[in-house]
Amino acid sequence: MGGTSSKLPKDLLSEYQELTFLTKQEILLAHKIFSELQGGENGPYSSRVSMQKILTLPELKANPFRKRLCHVFSTSDMKDGSLNFEDFLDLLSAFSDTATLEIKSHYAFRIFDFDDDGTLDARDLEKLVNCLTGETDDTRLTAEEMRQLISNILEESDIDKDGTVNLSEFQHVISRSPDFVSSFKIVL
Amino acid sequence: ELTKDILVIPGKSELVSDLVNLSAGARFQAIRSLPMSFNERKTVRLTSFIIIHLCNISDNDTFYLNLNLYLSQQEQSELSRQHLIIWQDTLKEIGGRFGTSVLSYFLFLKWLLQFNLFSFIINFCFITIPQIVHAPNISSTTGFRGLELLTGVGYFNQTVLFYGGYNGEVIVSKPAYNMQLAYFFTIAAYLKDLVFFLLLLSMSRSFQKNFVLETGPVSGGAWRLLCSWDFSVVNEKAIQYNKNNLAIQLKESLSERLQEKNKMSLSDRIKHLSLHLLAWLLSLGLAIGSGAGIYFLGTDPELAFSFSHNPNNLRAEASTLLLPVVVSLINLIVPLLYSLISKIESYSNPRAKIYISIIRNVILKMSILGILCFYWLNFVPNSISCWESFVGQSVYRLLIIDFIFCLLGIFFGEFLRNVIGTMCIQSLGVPEFDIARNVLDLIYAQTLAWIGIYFSPLLPVMQVLKLFIIFYLKKISLSLNCQPPKHIGRAAQIQTVFIAILFFPSFVGVLSMVAYTVWSLEPSNQCGPFQGLKTPFHTIFNWTASIQNFPESNWVWWIFENILRSELFYYLISLIVLVITYFLWQITQGRKQLIKTLREQIVNVSAEIIRTTL
Repeated sequence: MGGTSSKLPKDLLSEYQELTFLTKQEILLAHKIFSELQGGENGPYSSRVSMQKILTLPELKANPFRKRLCHVFSTSDMKDGSLNFEDFLDLLSAFSDTATLEIKSHYAFRIFDFDDDGTLDARDLEKLVNCLTGETDDTRLTAEEMRQLISNILEESDIDKDGTVNLSEFQHVISRSPDFVSSFKIVL
Repeated sequence: ELTKDILVIPGKSELVSDLVNLSAGARFQAIRSLPMSFNERKTVRLTSFIIIHLCNISDNDTFYLNLNLYLSQQEQSELSRQHLIIWQDTLKEIGGRFGTSVLSYFLFLKWLLQFNLFSFIINFCFITIPQIVHAPNISSTTGFRGLELLTGVGYFNQTVLFYGGYNGEVIVSKPAYNMQLAYFFTIAAYLKDLVFFLLLLSMSRSFQKNFVLETGPVSGGAWRLLCSWDFSVVNEKAIQYNKNNLAIQLKESLSERLQEKNKMSLSDRIKHLSLHLLAWLLSLGLAIGSGAGIYFLGTDPELAFSFSHNPNNLRAEASTLLLPVVVSLINLIVPLLYSLISKIESYSNPRAKIYISIIRNVILKMSILGILCFYWLNFVPNSISCWESFVGQSVYRLLIIDFIFCLLGIFFGEFLRNVIGTMCIQSLGVPEFDIARNVLDLIYAQTLAWIGIYFSPLLPVMQVLKLFIIFYLKKISLSLNCQPPKHIGRAAQIQTVFIAILFFPSFVGVLSMVAYTVWSLEPSNQCGPFQGLKTPFHTIFNWTASIQNFPESNWVWWIFENILRSELFYYLISLIVLVITYFLWQITQGRKQLIKTLREQIVNVSAEIIRTTL
């Protein structure tokens, strides 16, 4: 807030354009929004924004995966989900219009991998389904339905039959869902 | 600091060496697609640049020059991607609240708008402007009254809006502009080349993307449902709504899977089959009945021609509106009857239900249009003097009345239904935005516009205005009245189906109708650019005969006479296309088999690995 409206220098702007899938307008808009988020922090030049502040953005506020998003894209050593501007751009780039299927499916896999062990096992899948189906009692799946659903999912996607879905199997099953690319989008 | 970053690289040396071998544009794209954090990508990029420029002894200036060149190319391609950037914010808002499948309706509308604008510009430049500028004044016999806007006759009769307003003369200018040829070639080029290739390209592209080879264990659709979670929805209530829907759909798909395992008894199956048969008979009966009704109404001599015999009678003019109103009423009521009929059937698959209802509606609309075309091409040319203008005016009336009914439909169908659903009968609930019905209405109107383009070259401008107004009204009605559709997912496949519908019955039908008109029907003698010719196609004969006299354009005539007019050429072409299709189909079959074998191999290998590690 106030006088220090930092403008993005031109060489940084071209670097961001080159390394992400975002257009110039998108990067400038992201910079503006990120500066506003930063403005309220302890110091005007602390480069990381805490997770709580990021989650006040309207685009992320109601997203069921908001905490996972911050954790996946954060490069902070303290593993607290705080993002600097480049992490923020990474997030927007993965969710942009022109990002490739490989990038989107890679990050989708990491987001769905709740215990960060590199594979989607039955517990990750259960958490995923619960995340997406709501918390009220009448919409939650019963234990029996959950068991049945997870076994259906594994039957469909676990090609090497080891009981978990690894990255390649996930990317394979995603490539057969034509709706994925168009729904895996967040626009500022 | 630079060296410290490079030292981190060793694990990625293979990656960098791959990148170095690509062209600049492909390298940038590949670096962007790396699933690493920003700083790691930066390091990779720097390393690959350094390696490239160590190999080519070039100085720093060309390095930065290349970078700037690439970036400016990027910006230019961004600009060209933003053709028609109107409505960008509106579309984002709609997508945020209602999801991508409702957004696809609005994107389709915008696409049609661009299309019509483009065709209007072509027609206007090549046909209308020469006519207005050079041709003699064609005075109108009656003054302007308000009814013209609806019926298209009277004042509009001899204007450039319709076929009759065009002259077939060769305009004396440098170079001479042959109006007949211009009319013919503009319409032919527009319909055949642009529309054909555009539709074919977009259809094949989306077909390839969306109907991928379905092999492997038959998916219950669980992953599809989970992966189609719409991240672009930001409204909290909408997200909650989507979550509830997803839960319901997951439960439905689970129960379907269980049901598949329990086989149905024979008597149940016979019952279901007979219900399906009954429903189909009823639907087809309704479609045929509507077609017959329209035909009899149209050929009623008192109704059809009372206006042409008494051009100044206001009542006769108003009676020309009867046919369009009846057609629009049929288009409104019969789909509702179809949805009632489909309630008596039970479907194993909700997707099958959507597809079957789409097919029935398409059959209805195409049969109506087919009957109208039959009437226009067989009945009208023998009975009216300037019959092309008459057909053009009929199409104009149909489009206007369809537009008015669309407005009424928004008001009654959505606004009143919302009021009734929330205030009076609580159980009905808020109306759902029915994407299928709305898209089919758009396709129907566009087919009418394509039919009319030969008879009324400026018809696209009406479509443009219409689509513009409909966009805003639908958006307002959506925000005030509707809720998002319940069955999410499969939006991309349904979109492919819609484009396929646009192409096959719609466009091919129009093409054959215009081809028939141009090839075999005799143009009217009193008006229009093709007066006096035996068929409009004879302009081409005359033109090729005239250039036969010029030795340097002899090759055009040779190509025309010996290739385009000989049947052997088309026979050979069809044979070649069939053979290629057969080969490609065989390749697809072979690939399916290969995929199956590979899957089995993967399972075997992983079982082997587990066995040897134990």
